[in-house]
Amino acid sequence: MKIEKLLHKLQALFNTDKHKKRQHIEELRKILLKLKKKERRITRALQQIDDDNLSKHYQTELEIIRVQRKKGIEILQQLKERKKI
Amino acid sequence: MHKALLLIVIPLLSYGFWLSDAFKGIAAGVSIFLFGMLSLEQGFKAFTGGVLERILQKTTDTAWKSFGFGFLSAALMQSSGLVSVITISFLSAGLLDLVAGIGIIFGSNLGTTTGAWLIAGLGLKVNIATYAMPLLVFGVLCVFQSGKQLKGIGYILTGLGFLLLGIHYMKESFEAFENTINLAEYAMPGVKGLLVYTAIGIIATIIMQSSHATMLLTITAVSVHQITYDNALALVIGANIGTTVTAIIASFGANIQGKRLAGSHLFINLFTGIFVLLFIKQFGIAVDIISANLGIAVSDNAMKLATFHSLFNLAGIVLFFPFINQQIILLERIFIEKRPAIFKPKYLDSSAMDFPETVVESVRLESIHLYENAIHIILRTFGLRKPDLQKNDSLKQLIERNNHPIEYDIDASYEKQIKGIYSAIIAFISRAGFTWEMTQSSKLSWLREANKHIVEAIKDTKHLQKNWTRFRASNNQTSINEYNKIAYQIVLHIQQIDNFRHEIESNELPLLSLDTLKATIKNDDMHMNRAIETLIREQKITPETGSSLINDAAYMRNIKKNLLKAAETLFLHTNTGSAKAEQQLTLNETEINDVVQTVDNQ
Repeated sequence: MKIEKLLHKLQALFNTDKHKKRQHIEELRKILLKLKKKERRITRALQQIDDDNLSKHYQTELEIIRVQRKKGIEILQQLKERKKI
Repeated sequence: MHKALLLIVIPLLSYGFWLSDAFKGIAAGVSIFLFGMLSLEQGFKAFTGGVLERILQKTTDTAWKSFGFGFLSAALMQSSGLVSVITISFLSAGLLDLVAGIGIIFGSNLGTTTGAWLIAGLGLKVNIATYAMPLLVFGVLCVFQSGKQLKGIGYILTGLGFLLLGIHYMKESFEAFENTINLAEYAMPGVKGLLVYTAIGIIATIIMQSSHATMLLTITAVSVHQITYDNALALVIGANIGTTVTAIIASFGANIQGKRLAGSHLFINLFTGIFVLLFIKQFGIAVDIISANLGIAVSDNAMKLATFHSLFNLAGIVLFFPFINQQIILLERIFIEKRPAIFKPKYLDSSAMDFPETVVESVRLESIHLYENAIHIILRTFGLRKPDLQKNDSLKQLIERNNHPIEYDIDASYEKQIKGIYSAIIAFISRAGFTWEMTQSSKLSWLREANKHIVEAIKDTKHLQKNWTRFRASNNQTSINEYNKIAYQIVLHIQQIDNFRHEIESNELPLLSLDTLKATIKNDDMHMNRAIETLIREQKITPETGSSLINDAAYMRNIKKNLLKAAETLFLHTNTGSAKAEQQLTLNETEINDVVQTVDNQ
């Protein structure tokens, strides 16, 4: 196991570009996951609000997250396709 | 009146009423007279808030014009106290300068002497109660009307009616009093008499809060020979000194200019009093000569007292009016303006200059300090404090519950909490700016911009405060609601920026949260303008109110934008691990506009 980890690190060292790409994909995945969690949290909060202004704010936030996630998924797909090539 | 004093005065008066019917009549006369004064004040107050301010601005641009204004208004209102109180309030509000204020005081001193002429010339010779009755009837009729100005006229007429009725009662009672007790037995001749009766005049005027009432008592008493003419002269001097107490009381709540004006009023009347006391014999002779020329009988002490009153105030004008500027210099030395304790920078240390990154961090921390102070000022403008943002209560309710007028001096707070720190930051950046490599220079340049945004936000709040205060005091509930909505949206935005700061600390995608805040600003602006248009169309607000609301909605948008731009620079660290990936997901202007449109269609 230790040898495998060491090899992995050496591989990353000699192939920094590939490593950076992989790291970037990982970061995007993490962000998309966080956004999804945030989306769920806001949807729940929205159901308990009776203030017009606050509810409008949460609706806007939900829509922003939706567009950001859509954008993120598209970038992620492009990166995966490039990785295959 | 102080409660303890009231406990002494009430039994004393009651004992007096039991002793003498005439005393009861005199006290009732003074009370009716004072009630008339109150009513008159109430009536004139109905005309403040527009007409009076406009007249004031046009008629007080020179010292002589101010003098004329003071004379006319005091003669018309029959109260120099009311004129000085109004003048102090206008002076505090910056509508007048001290020269104009002192000019008005001189004028009102002379204007108020018309009251003595009215009492002595008309009140004692004609049965004025016959004039009082119709005034009271017409006055009360008008008071019951719904229109503010008609109500005001009603109060003025009622006030005049009560003034005349009060004079009548006192005159009648003094005549009856003459048959039972002779106050003249307590007369004091010489210097002792002058000083004692001057002191009595001062005390009586302070207690009754009206030199008119003291004048009325004195003139009536002297007309029925209850007091000697010499002692009456001293009472008039005392009344003129005592009357300044109204202005002094009013100046407690005023700013330094108001205090200087009250000081000037006391200075003029006190030193005129001392001067007249020193030359009382010469003044007596002058009164006799003038009275003889005016055809006043030698035995008519009441009219001679009115002449003395005018001569007294004319002496004050001759003595002190040419030296207004010198007086102002003196007053400015006595009443020194205490500058508010200015907030000092906390993080700008010149020892940091040697380390570029430390300089940037010092400026950033100091800018956050400035931002916190700005937030404090904005929240205070809307009657809130920082801990209110953390309360569980709805912010909307907190703002709506604050339905009393909020008087908050943004200018003073700016001087105290912002200006010093802002200047120090700018100076610090300029000292450091040119010596380093580009990275730090550009960071400092961004921080300078952030500071500019903070200051802009406060300036916009100041513009907004004017109408926010004005419309919240109006009767139109719709405009009150709209202005509360503006305040609420600003405060909510501040709260959301606070949440954004917590997201930075917990690394909860702060860069992406910025898009929501940007979209919310656009969304709120669009809805606000649409709502205002609807209100104008449905005639719930006037087009004038609508235009004010549109302007103030623009101020609201600018405040939010400026605060967000400052927060973005001050709080966001773009060097976190996921910053690059986050940046890819942020939305551009068109995408944000699309989101706003989508939410609007939902």
